[in-house]
Amino acid sequence: MNRRALLGALTAAVALATVPRRARAHARKIRPPGALAPGRFEQACIGCFRCAEVCPTTCIRFGSAFSLDQAIPYIDASERACVLCMKCTQVCPTQALVPLAADPDIIAKTVRMGVPVLTRSRCLPWNLEGICRLCYQVCPYPEEAVELTGPRKAPLFHPEACVGCGLCEEACPEQNHAIRIEPLPDAAPPPSTRPP
Amino acid sequence: MTRRALQPLDITLRHGQRYQRVRRGFLALSVALSFVLPLWHLHSLDVQGAGLAADSPWARVAALLPDAPPPFFGAPTSIWVGLFELVDPLESLGVALFQGVSWHWVWTVLPGVVLVLLLGRFFCGWACPYLPLLAASNASRWVLTRLGLRLPDVKVPRATSRVVMVGLLVGGSLLGTQLVPLVYPPALIGREVFRAVFYGSLGAGALVVAGAFLFDTFVSRGGFCRSLCPGGAMFSVLSNLSPLRVKNERSKCTDCTVCDVVCNLGQSPMTNRLDSGCERCGRCIASCPTRALSWSLSRPPLARDSKAEGPP
Repeated sequence: MNRRALLGALTAAVALATVPRRARAHARKIRPPGALAPGRFEQACIGCFRCAEVCPTTCIRFGSAFSLDQAIPYIDASERACVLCMKCTQVCPTQALVPLAADPDIIAKTVRMGVPVLTRSRCLPWNLEGICRLCYQVCPYPEEAVELTGPRKAPLFHPEACVGCGLCEEACPEQNHAIRIEPLPDAAPPPSTRPP
Repeated sequence: MTRRALQPLDITLRHGQRYQRVRRGFLALSVALSFVLPLWHLHSLDVQGAGLAADSPWARVAALLPDAPPPFFGAPTSIWVGLFELVDPLESLGVALFQGVSWHWVWTVLPGVVLVLLLGRFFCGWACPYLPLLAASNASRWVLTRLGLRLPDVKVPRATSRVVMVGLLVGGSLLGTQLVPLVYPPALIGREVFRAVFYGSLGAGALVVAGAFLFDTFVSRGGFCRSLCPGGAMFSVLSNLSPLRVKNERSKCTDCTVCDVVCNLGQSPMTNRLDSGCERCGRCIASCPTRALSWSLSRPPLARDSKAEGPP
Protein backbone atom coordinates (compact mmCIF):
# COMPACT_ATOMS: atom_id res chain seq x y z
CA MET A 1 0.00 0.00 0.00
CA ASN A 2 1.44 3.36 -0.91
CA ARG A 3 1.24 6.46 1.20
CA ARG A 4 -1.68 7.94 -0.70
CA ALA A 5 -3.79 4.82 -0.22
CA LEU A 6 -2.91 4.80 3.47
CA LEU A 7 -3.89 8.43 3.88
CA GLY A 8 -7.12 7.73 2.04
CA ALA A 9 -7.90 4.81 4.30
CA LEU A 10 -7.14 6.89 7.38
CA THR A 11 -9.42 9.65 6.14
CA ALA A 12 -12.13 7.06 5.60
CA ALA A 13 -11.62 5.85 9.16
CA VAL A 14 -11.92 9.39 10.49
CA ALA A 15 -15.06 9.98 8.41
CA LEU A 16 -16.61 6.74 9.64
CA ALA A 17 -15.79 7.58 13.23
CA THR A 18 -17.34 11.02 13.07
CA VAL A 19 -20.57 9.78 11.51
CA PRO A 20 -23.12 9.65 14.32
CA ARG A 21 -23.62 6.11 15.49
CA ARG A 22 -26.08 4.63 17.85
CA ALA A 23 -24.31 3.46 20.95
CA ARG A 24 -23.36 -0.17 20.83
CA ALA A 25 -25.46 -2.44 22.96
CA HIS A 26 -22.81 -2.92 25.62
CA ALA A 27 -23.67 -5.08 28.55
CA ARG A 28 -24.70 -2.32 30.94
CA LYS A 29 -22.54 -2.30 34.00
CA ILE A 30 -21.61 0.03 36.82
CA ARG A 31 -18.56 1.95 35.63
CA PRO A 32 -15.94 3.49 37.93
CA PRO A 33 -16.64 7.03 39.20
CA GLY A 34 -16.21 9.92 36.77
CA ALA A 35 -16.87 7.66 33.76
CA LEU A 36 -18.12 9.25 30.55
CA ALA A 37 -21.68 8.50 29.47
CA PRO A 38 -22.46 4.85 28.65
CA GLY A 39 -21.36 4.22 25.09
CA ARG A 40 -18.84 7.04 25.08
CA PHE A 41 -16.93 5.51 27.96
CA GLU A 42 -16.34 2.26 26.06
CA GLN A 43 -14.98 4.26 23.12
CA ALA A 44 -12.46 6.18 25.20
CA CYS A 45 -11.13 3.32 27.34
CA ILE A 46 -7.93 1.67 26.09
CA GLY A 47 -7.98 -1.09 28.69
CA CYS A 48 -4.69 -0.15 30.32
CA PHE A 49 -5.78 -1.43 33.75
CA ARG A 50 -4.41 1.60 35.55
CA CYS A 51 -7.68 2.29 37.36
CA ALA A 52 -7.67 -1.24 38.77
CA GLU A 53 -4.01 -0.92 39.63
CA VAL A 54 -4.53 2.05 41.96
CA CYS A 55 -7.92 1.03 43.39
CA PRO A 56 -7.37 0.58 47.14
CA THR A 57 -10.24 -1.89 47.55
CA THR A 58 -9.68 -3.79 44.26
CA CYS A 59 -13.36 -3.27 43.51
CA ILE A 60 -12.68 -2.67 39.80
CA ARG A 61 -13.26 -5.78 37.70
CA PHE A 62 -13.06 -6.52 33.99
CA GLY A 63 -15.48 -8.11 31.55
CA SER A 64 -15.40 -11.82 30.78
CA ALA A 65 -12.32 -13.04 28.97
CA PHE A 66 -13.90 -13.63 25.57
CA SER A 67 -16.13 -10.59 25.25
CA LEU A 68 -15.46 -7.29 23.52
CA ASP A 69 -15.68 -5.78 27.01
CA GLN A 70 -12.78 -7.85 28.29
CA ALA A 71 -10.61 -4.77 28.80
CA ILE A 72 -13.27 -2.39 30.11
CA PRO A 73 -13.54 -1.85 33.87
CA TYR A 74 -16.73 -2.23 35.88
CA ILE A 75 -17.68 -2.44 39.52
CA ASP A 76 -19.68 -5.29 41.03
CA ALA A 77 -20.88 -3.57 44.19
CA SER A 78 -22.43 -6.73 45.63
CA GLU A 79 -18.92 -8.12 45.99
CA ARG A 80 -16.96 -4.99 46.72
CA ALA A 81 -18.02 -1.38 46.56
CA CYS A 82 -16.28 1.85 45.65
CA VAL A 83 -15.02 3.97 48.54
CA LEU A 84 -14.98 7.15 46.41
CA CYS A 85 -11.22 7.77 46.73
CA MET A 86 -11.23 9.05 43.10
CA LYS A 87 -7.72 7.71 42.50
CA CYS A 88 -8.83 5.88 39.34
CA THR A 89 -10.10 9.11 37.81
CA GLN A 90 -6.75 10.78 38.39
CA VAL A 91 -4.64 8.13 36.64
CA CYS A 92 -6.79 7.48 33.54
CA PRO A 93 -4.57 8.34 30.53
CA THR A 94 -7.43 9.00 28.11
CA GLN A 95 -9.84 10.75 30.48
CA ALA A 96 -12.44 8.07 29.92
CA LEU A 97 -12.70 8.67 33.65
CA VAL A 98 -12.86 12.43 34.09
CA PRO A 99 -10.36 13.48 36.78
CA LEU A 100 -12.07 14.44 40.04
CA ALA A 101 -10.84 15.50 43.46
CA ALA A 102 -11.82 13.33 46.42
CA ASP A 103 -14.01 16.14 47.75
CA PRO A 104 -17.44 15.12 49.11
CA ASP A 105 -19.18 18.15 47.59
CA ILE A 106 -17.65 17.71 44.14
CA ILE A 107 -18.40 13.98 44.22
CA ALA A 108 -22.01 14.63 45.26
CA LYS A 109 -22.45 17.01 42.36
CA THR A 110 -20.67 15.11 39.59
CA VAL A 111 -20.56 11.36 40.26
CA ARG A 112 -23.47 9.17 39.17
CA MET A 113 -22.29 5.58 38.85
CA GLY A 114 -25.72 3.98 39.02
CA VAL A 115 -29.22 4.18 40.40
CA PRO A 116 -30.24 2.64 43.77
CA VAL A 117 -33.17 0.27 43.53
CA LEU A 118 -34.64 -1.13 46.74
CA THR A 119 -36.70 -4.32 46.72
CA ARG A 120 -38.84 -3.81 49.78
CA SER A 121 -39.96 -7.44 49.91
CA ARG A 122 -36.37 -8.44 50.76
CA CYS A 123 -35.52 -5.55 53.09
CA LEU A 124 -35.60 -6.55 56.79
CA PRO A 125 -37.14 -3.37 58.34
CA TRP A 126 -39.75 -3.11 55.59
CA ASN A 127 -40.81 -6.68 56.46
CA LEU A 128 -40.85 -5.98 60.18
CA GLU A 129 -37.99 -8.42 60.70
CA GLY A 130 -35.57 -6.11 62.49
CA ILE A 131 -33.97 -2.71 62.72
CA CYS A 132 -31.08 -3.15 60.32
CA ARG A 133 -29.90 0.36 59.31
CA LEU A 134 -26.70 -1.05 57.72
CA CYS A 135 -27.24 0.76 54.43
CA TYR A 136 -27.78 4.02 56.27
CA GLN A 137 -24.67 3.54 58.38
CA VAL A 138 -22.31 2.93 55.45
CA CYS A 139 -23.80 5.56 53.15
CA PRO A 140 -21.34 8.42 52.49
CA TYR A 141 -24.33 10.78 52.08
CA PRO A 142 -26.77 9.80 54.86
CA GLU A 143 -30.01 11.77 55.05
CA GLU A 144 -29.43 12.97 51.48
CA ALA A 145 -29.20 9.70 49.57
CA VAL A 146 -30.94 7.49 52.10
CA GLU A 147 -33.16 8.32 55.07
CA LEU A 148 -34.81 6.16 57.67
CA THR A 149 -38.55 6.27 58.04
CA GLY A 150 -41.05 4.96 60.55
CA PRO A 151 -40.60 3.23 63.88
CA ARG A 152 -38.67 0.35 62.27
CA LYS A 153 -36.16 2.71 60.64
CA ALA A 154 -36.92 1.45 57.14
CA PRO A 155 -34.64 2.95 54.47
CA LEU A 156 -35.93 5.26 51.78
CA PHE A 157 -33.54 5.96 48.91
CA HIS A 158 -33.27 9.19 46.93
CA PRO A 159 -31.75 8.41 43.52
CA GLU A 160 -31.21 12.09 42.71
CA ALA A 161 -28.77 12.47 45.62
CA CYS A 162 -27.16 9.02 45.37
CA VAL A 163 -23.68 8.77 43.76
CA GLY A 164 -24.05 5.01 43.23
CA CYS A 165 -20.95 3.89 45.11
CA GLY A 166 -22.70 0.68 46.17
CA LEU A 167 -21.49 0.60 49.77
CA CYS A 168 -25.12 -0.07 50.81
CA GLU A 169 -25.36 -2.99 48.40
CA GLU A 170 -22.13 -4.46 49.73
CA ALA A 171 -23.33 -4.03 53.33
CA CYS A 172 -26.87 -5.39 52.85
CA PRO A 173 -27.11 -8.57 54.98
CA GLU A 174 -29.74 -10.24 52.77
CA GLN A 175 -28.29 -13.06 50.69
CA ASN A 176 -30.03 -11.64 47.65
CA HIS A 177 -29.26 -8.00 48.37
CA ALA A 178 -32.39 -5.93 48.91
CA ILE A 179 -30.66 -2.79 47.69
CA ARG A 180 -28.99 -2.93 44.28
CA ILE A 181 -27.21 -0.28 42.28
CA GLU A 182 -28.59 -0.60 38.76
CA PRO A 183 -26.56 0.61 35.75
CA LEU A 184 -27.45 4.01 34.34
CA PRO A 185 -30.04 4.05 31.57
CA ASP A 186 -28.85 5.07 28.10
CA ALA A 187 -31.01 8.12 27.74
CA ALA A 188 -29.76 10.18 30.65
CA PRO A 189 -26.03 10.85 30.50
CA PRO A 190 -24.58 11.24 33.97
CA PRO A 191 -23.72 14.77 35.10
CA SER A 192 -20.05 13.75 35.25
CA THR A 193 -19.81 14.36 31.50
CA ARG A 194 -20.38 18.04 32.04
CA PRO A 195 -17.20 20.09 31.72
CA PRO A 196 -15.97 20.97 35.20
CA MET B 1 25.38 -32.81 5.70
CA THR B 2 22.87 -30.78 3.81
CA ARG B 3 23.22 -27.09 3.61
CA ARG B 4 20.77 -25.20 5.81
CA ALA B 5 19.60 -21.68 5.38
CA LEU B 6 21.40 -19.26 7.68
CA GLN B 7 19.38 -18.35 10.78
CA PRO B 8 19.79 -15.51 13.28
CA LEU B 9 21.08 -17.86 15.96
CA ASP B 10 23.94 -18.90 13.69
CA ILE B 11 25.24 -15.38 13.70
CA THR B 12 27.48 -13.93 16.38
CA LEU B 13 27.13 -10.29 17.30
CA ARG B 14 30.79 -9.34 17.03
CA HIS B 15 30.89 -5.73 18.06
CA GLY B 16 28.74 -2.82 19.10
CA GLN B 17 28.38 -4.72 22.36
CA ARG B 18 27.76 -1.61 24.41
CA TYR B 19 24.77 -0.63 22.26
CA GLN B 20 23.40 -4.16 22.57
CA ARG B 21 23.93 -4.18 26.34
CA VAL B 22 22.11 -0.87 26.74
CA ARG B 23 19.28 -2.08 24.50
CA ARG B 24 18.92 -5.39 26.33
CA GLY B 25 19.05 -3.59 29.67
CA PHE B 26 16.27 -1.26 28.59
CA LEU B 27 14.25 -4.18 27.30
CA ALA B 28 14.79 -6.11 30.53
CA LEU B 29 13.61 -3.05 32.48
CA SER B 30 10.50 -2.77 30.35
CA VAL B 31 9.65 -6.45 30.70
CA ALA B 32 10.41 -6.40 34.43
CA LEU B 33 8.19 -3.35 34.89
CA SER B 34 5.26 -4.97 33.15
CA PHE B 35 5.60 -8.03 35.36
CA VAL B 36 6.51 -6.44 38.68
CA LEU B 37 4.30 -3.33 38.68
CA PRO B 38 0.94 -5.11 39.08
CA LEU B 39 2.39 -7.30 41.79
CA TRP B 40 3.88 -4.31 43.59
CA HIS B 41 0.60 -2.39 43.40
CA LEU B 42 -1.41 -5.30 44.74
CA HIS B 43 1.17 -5.93 47.45
CA SER B 44 1.06 -2.30 48.61
CA LEU B 45 -2.71 -2.32 49.20
CA ASP B 46 -3.54 -2.16 52.86
CA VAL B 47 -7.31 -2.61 52.99
CA GLN B 48 -8.95 -5.63 54.53
CA GLY B 49 -9.87 -8.16 51.89
CA ALA B 50 -7.79 -6.42 49.25
CA GLY B 51 -4.09 -6.89 48.57
CA LEU B 52 -2.26 -10.12 47.98
CA ALA B 53 -3.50 -13.35 49.54
CA ALA B 54 -0.79 -15.00 51.64
CA ASP B 55 -1.32 -18.36 49.94
CA SER B 56 -1.04 -17.03 46.40
CA PRO B 57 1.97 -18.14 44.35
CA TRP B 58 2.97 -14.51 43.98
CA ALA B 59 3.29 -13.85 47.69
CA ARG B 60 6.87 -15.04 47.93
CA VAL B 61 8.01 -12.68 45.15
CA ALA B 62 5.97 -9.82 46.59
CA ALA B 63 7.67 -10.23 49.97
CA LEU B 64 10.83 -8.87 48.34
CA LEU B 65 9.06 -5.66 47.31
CA PRO B 66 8.74 -2.53 49.45
CA ASP B 67 5.43 -1.91 51.21
CA ALA B 68 5.09 1.61 49.82
CA PRO B 69 3.19 1.91 46.54
CA PRO B 70 5.36 2.01 43.41
CA PRO B 71 6.41 5.41 42.03
CA PHE B 72 4.82 4.77 38.63
CA PHE B 73 1.91 2.93 37.18
CA GLY B 74 0.70 1.68 33.85
CA ALA B 75 1.38 -0.98 31.27
CA PRO B 76 3.91 -1.05 28.41
CA THR B 77 1.55 0.84 26.12
CA SER B 78 0.60 3.56 28.57
CA ILE B 79 3.00 4.33 31.33
CA TRP B 80 3.20 7.34 33.58
CA VAL B 81 6.79 8.35 34.36
CA GLY B 82 7.08 11.39 36.56
CA LEU B 83 5.81 14.32 34.55
CA PHE B 84 5.28 12.44 31.34
CA GLU B 85 2.71 10.08 29.96
CA LEU B 86 4.01 7.64 27.39
CA VAL B 87 0.90 6.45 25.59
CA ASP B 88 1.06 4.29 22.50
CA PRO B 89 0.45 6.48 19.40
CA LEU B 90 -1.93 3.95 17.82
CA GLU B 91 -4.12 3.63 20.92
CA SER B 92 -4.11 7.42 21.22
CA LEU B 93 -5.23 7.72 17.59
CA GLY B 94 -8.03 5.28 18.30
CA VAL B 95 -9.20 7.43 21.19
CA ALA B 96 -8.93 10.63 19.16
CA LEU B 97 -11.15 9.13 16.45
CA PHE B 98 -13.94 8.96 19.02
CA GLN B 99 -13.14 11.76 21.40
CA GLY B 100 -11.64 14.40 19.18
CA VAL B 101 -8.45 16.15 20.14
CA SER B 102 -8.05 17.89 23.48
CA TRP B 103 -5.11 19.55 25.20
CA HIS B 104 -4.90 16.61 27.57
CA TRP B 105 -4.72 14.28 24.58
CA VAL B 106 -1.93 16.32 22.98
CA TRP B 107 -0.01 16.34 26.26
CA THR B 108 -0.23 12.57 26.68
CA VAL B 109 0.59 11.78 23.06
CA LEU B 110 3.41 14.25 22.49
CA PRO B 111 6.27 12.65 24.48
CA GLY B 112 5.83 9.28 22.79
CA VAL B 113 5.41 10.73 19.31
CA VAL B 114 8.48 12.96 19.67
CA LEU B 115 10.53 9.94 20.70
CA VAL B 116 9.31 7.99 17.66
CA LEU B 117 9.92 10.90 15.30
CA LEU B 118 13.52 11.11 16.53
CA LEU B 119 14.37 7.46 17.07
CA GLY B 120 12.04 5.76 14.62
CA ARG B 121 10.37 2.47 15.40
CA PHE B 122 12.61 1.99 18.44
CA PHE B 123 9.81 0.74 20.72
CA CYS B 124 9.70 -2.56 18.83
CA GLY B 125 13.39 -3.23 19.35
CA TRP B 126 13.90 -1.62 22.73
CA ALA B 127 10.80 -1.96 24.84
CA CYS B 128 8.16 -4.29 23.42
CA PRO B 129 7.48 -7.08 25.94
CA TYR B 130 6.76 -9.41 23.01
CA LEU B 131 10.46 -9.36 22.03
CA PRO B 132 11.52 -12.13 24.44
CA LEU B 133 8.82 -14.29 22.85
CA LEU B 134 10.12 -13.42 19.38
CA ALA B 135 13.61 -14.43 20.51
CA ALA B 136 12.16 -17.67 21.88
CA SER B 137 10.39 -18.26 18.58
CA ASN B 138 13.64 -17.73 16.66
CA ALA B 139 15.35 -20.15 19.01
CA SER B 140 12.58 -22.74 18.55
CA ARG B 141 12.93 -22.43 14.77
CA TRP B 142 16.67 -22.94 15.07
CA VAL B 143 16.28 -26.04 17.22
CA LEU B 144 13.46 -27.51 15.12
CA THR B 145 15.48 -27.01 11.94
CA ARG B 146 18.45 -28.75 13.59
CA LEU B 147 16.10 -31.63 14.38
CA GLY B 148 15.36 -31.95 10.70
CA LEU B 149 12.00 -30.21 10.54
CA ARG B 150 11.39 -28.08 7.49
CA LEU B 151 9.69 -24.91 8.65
CA PRO B 152 8.08 -22.60 6.12
CA ASP B 153 8.99 -18.93 6.11
CA VAL B 154 6.08 -17.24 4.39
CA LYS B 155 6.79 -13.67 3.41
CA VAL B 156 3.54 -11.87 4.13
CA PRO B 157 3.61 -8.42 2.51
CA ARG B 158 4.54 -5.82 5.09
CA ALA B 159 1.70 -3.55 3.98
CA THR B 160 -0.66 -6.11 5.56
CA SER B 161 0.07 -4.56 8.96
CA ARG B 162 -1.23 -1.21 7.69
CA VAL B 163 -4.40 -2.88 6.45
CA VAL B 164 -4.77 -4.51 9.87
CA MET B 165 -4.23 -1.16 11.56
CA VAL B 166 -6.82 0.70 9.48
CA GLY B 167 -9.21 -2.25 9.71
CA LEU B 168 -9.04 -2.20 13.50
CA LEU B 169 -9.65 1.55 13.66
CA VAL B 170 -12.58 1.36 11.24
CA GLY B 171 -14.01 -1.77 12.85
CA GLY B 172 -13.68 -0.21 16.29
CA SER B 173 -15.55 2.89 15.23
CA LEU B 174 -18.33 0.75 13.79
CA LEU B 175 -18.60 -1.32 16.95
CA GLY B 176 -18.20 1.65 19.27
CA THR B 177 -15.27 0.23 21.19
CA GLN B 178 -11.48 0.13 21.07
CA LEU B 179 -10.28 -2.93 19.14
CA VAL B 180 -6.54 -2.24 19.11
CA PRO B 181 -6.05 -3.12 22.81
CA LEU B 182 -7.61 -6.51 22.06
CA VAL B 183 -4.99 -7.66 19.53
CA TYR B 184 -1.88 -5.54 20.10
CA PRO B 185 0.74 -7.72 21.86
CA PRO B 186 2.38 -5.14 24.18
CA ALA B 187 -1.06 -4.03 25.41
CA LEU B 188 -2.15 -7.65 25.70
CA ILE B 189 0.89 -8.81 27.61
CA GLY B 190 0.56 -5.90 30.07
CA ARG B 191 -3.10 -6.70 30.57
CA GLU B 192 -2.76 -10.45 30.87
CA VAL B 193 -0.11 -10.04 33.55
CA PHE B 194 -2.54 -7.79 35.43
CA ARG B 195 -5.29 -10.36 35.05
CA ALA B 196 -3.04 -13.15 36.26
CA VAL B 197 -1.79 -11.20 39.29
CA PHE B 198 -5.01 -9.47 40.32
CA TYR B 199 -7.64 -12.07 39.47
CA GLY B 200 -5.64 -15.26 38.94
CA SER B 201 -7.01 -15.83 35.44
CA LEU B 202 -6.04 -15.24 31.84
CA GLY B 203 -8.16 -13.65 29.12
CA ALA B 204 -8.50 -14.16 25.40
CA GLY B 205 -5.47 -11.88 24.94
CA ALA B 206 -3.21 -14.71 26.09
CA LEU B 207 -4.51 -16.77 23.15
CA VAL B 208 -3.71 -13.96 20.71
CA VAL B 209 -0.16 -13.71 22.05
CA ALA B 210 0.22 -17.48 21.87
CA GLY B 211 -1.12 -17.37 18.29
CA ALA B 212 1.44 -14.73 17.34
CA PHE B 213 4.18 -16.90 18.83
CA LEU B 214 3.01 -19.98 16.90
CA PHE B 215 2.71 -17.93 13.70
CA ASP B 216 6.27 -16.66 14.14
CA THR B 217 7.57 -20.13 14.90
CA PHE B 218 5.76 -22.30 12.36
CA VAL B 219 4.67 -20.01 9.54
CA SER B 220 6.81 -16.94 9.17
CA ARG B 221 9.95 -15.91 11.06
CA GLY B 222 9.22 -12.65 12.90
CA GLY B 223 6.15 -12.48 10.68
CA PHE B 224 3.79 -11.04 13.25
CA CYS B 225 5.98 -8.05 14.12
CA ARG B 226 6.95 -7.50 10.51
CA SER B 227 3.70 -7.95 8.66
CA LEU B 228 0.74 -8.05 11.03
CA CYS B 229 1.31 -5.91 14.12
CA PRO B 230 -0.91 -2.80 13.93
CA GLY B 231 1.23 -0.91 16.44
CA GLY B 232 4.34 -1.60 14.39
CA ALA B 233 2.54 -0.17 11.35
CA MET B 234 1.76 3.01 13.25
CA PHE B 235 5.38 3.34 14.40
CA SER B 236 6.54 2.80 10.81
CA VAL B 237 4.29 5.56 9.51
CA LEU B 238 5.62 7.96 12.13
CA SER B 239 9.27 7.01 11.78
CA ASN B 240 9.41 8.14 8.14
CA LEU B 241 10.81 11.37 9.55
CA SER B 242 13.42 9.86 11.84
CA PRO B 243 16.98 10.96 11.03
CA LEU B 244 18.62 7.91 12.64
CA ARG B 245 19.52 5.39 9.94
CA VAL B 246 21.73 2.39 9.33
CA LYS B 247 24.20 3.07 6.55
CA ASN B 248 26.11 0.48 4.56
CA GLU B 249 29.51 1.51 3.29
CA ARG B 250 29.43 -0.56 0.14
CA SER B 251 33.23 -0.55 -0.37
CA LYS B 252 33.66 -2.56 2.86
CA CYS B 253 30.69 -4.88 2.28
CA THR B 254 31.36 -8.46 1.21
CA ASP B 255 27.70 -9.33 0.49
CA CYS B 256 27.75 -12.05 3.13
CA THR B 257 23.97 -11.53 3.89
CA VAL B 258 24.54 -11.86 7.63
CA CYS B 259 22.88 -8.51 8.38
CA ASP B 260 19.84 -9.32 6.26
CA VAL B 261 19.41 -12.65 8.05
CA VAL B 262 19.78 -11.22 11.54
CA CYS B 263 17.06 -8.60 10.95
CA ASN B 264 13.71 -9.60 12.39
CA LEU B 265 11.77 -7.05 10.42
CA GLY B 266 12.73 -7.94 6.85
CA GLN B 267 14.99 -4.98 6.23
CA SER B 268 17.96 -5.33 3.91
CA PRO B 269 20.96 -3.41 5.26
CA MET B 270 23.21 -5.30 2.82
CA THR B 271 21.66 -3.58 -0.17
CA ASN B 272 21.09 -0.34 1.76
CA ARG B 273 17.38 -0.99 1.39
CA LEU B 274 16.13 0.13 4.78
CA ASP B 275 12.88 1.91 5.33
CA SER B 276 10.70 3.10 8.16
CA GLY B 277 10.25 -0.50 9.31
CA CYS B 278 13.71 -0.50 10.97
CA GLU B 279 13.43 -0.93 14.75
CA ARG B 280 16.91 0.47 15.54
CA CYS B 281 17.93 -2.70 17.33
CA GLY B 282 21.44 -2.40 15.89
CA ARG B 283 21.90 -6.14 15.50
CA CYS B 284 22.84 -5.81 11.83
CA ILE B 285 25.62 -3.38 12.79
CA ALA B 286 26.79 -5.69 15.54
CA SER B 287 26.82 -8.72 13.26
CA CYS B 288 28.72 -7.25 10.30
CA PRO B 289 32.09 -9.05 10.00
CA THR B 290 33.73 -6.21 8.09
CA ARG B 291 32.18 -3.29 9.97
CA ALA B 292 30.61 -1.94 6.82
CA LEU B 293 27.45 -0.93 8.67
CA SER B 294 27.17 2.06 10.98
CA TRP B 295 24.66 4.48 12.39
CA SER B 296 24.27 7.68 10.48
CA LEU B 297 22.29 10.81 11.08
CA SER B 298 20.73 11.91 7.85
CA ARG B 299 18.18 14.47 6.94
CA PRO B 300 14.78 12.80 6.88
CA PRO B 301 13.83 11.68 3.37
CA LEU B 302 10.72 13.85 3.29
CA ALA B 303 12.77 16.96 4.01
CA ARG B 304 15.22 15.89 1.29
CA ASP B 305 12.43 15.53 -1.25
CA SER B 306 11.16 19.03 -0.64
CA LYS B 307 14.71 20.36 -0.89
CA ALA B 308 15.17 18.65 -4.23
CA GLU B 309 12.04 20.19 -5.65
CA GLY B 310 12.82 23.72 -4.50
CA PRO B 311 14.96 26.18 -6.46
CA PRO B 312 18.73 25.77 -5.97
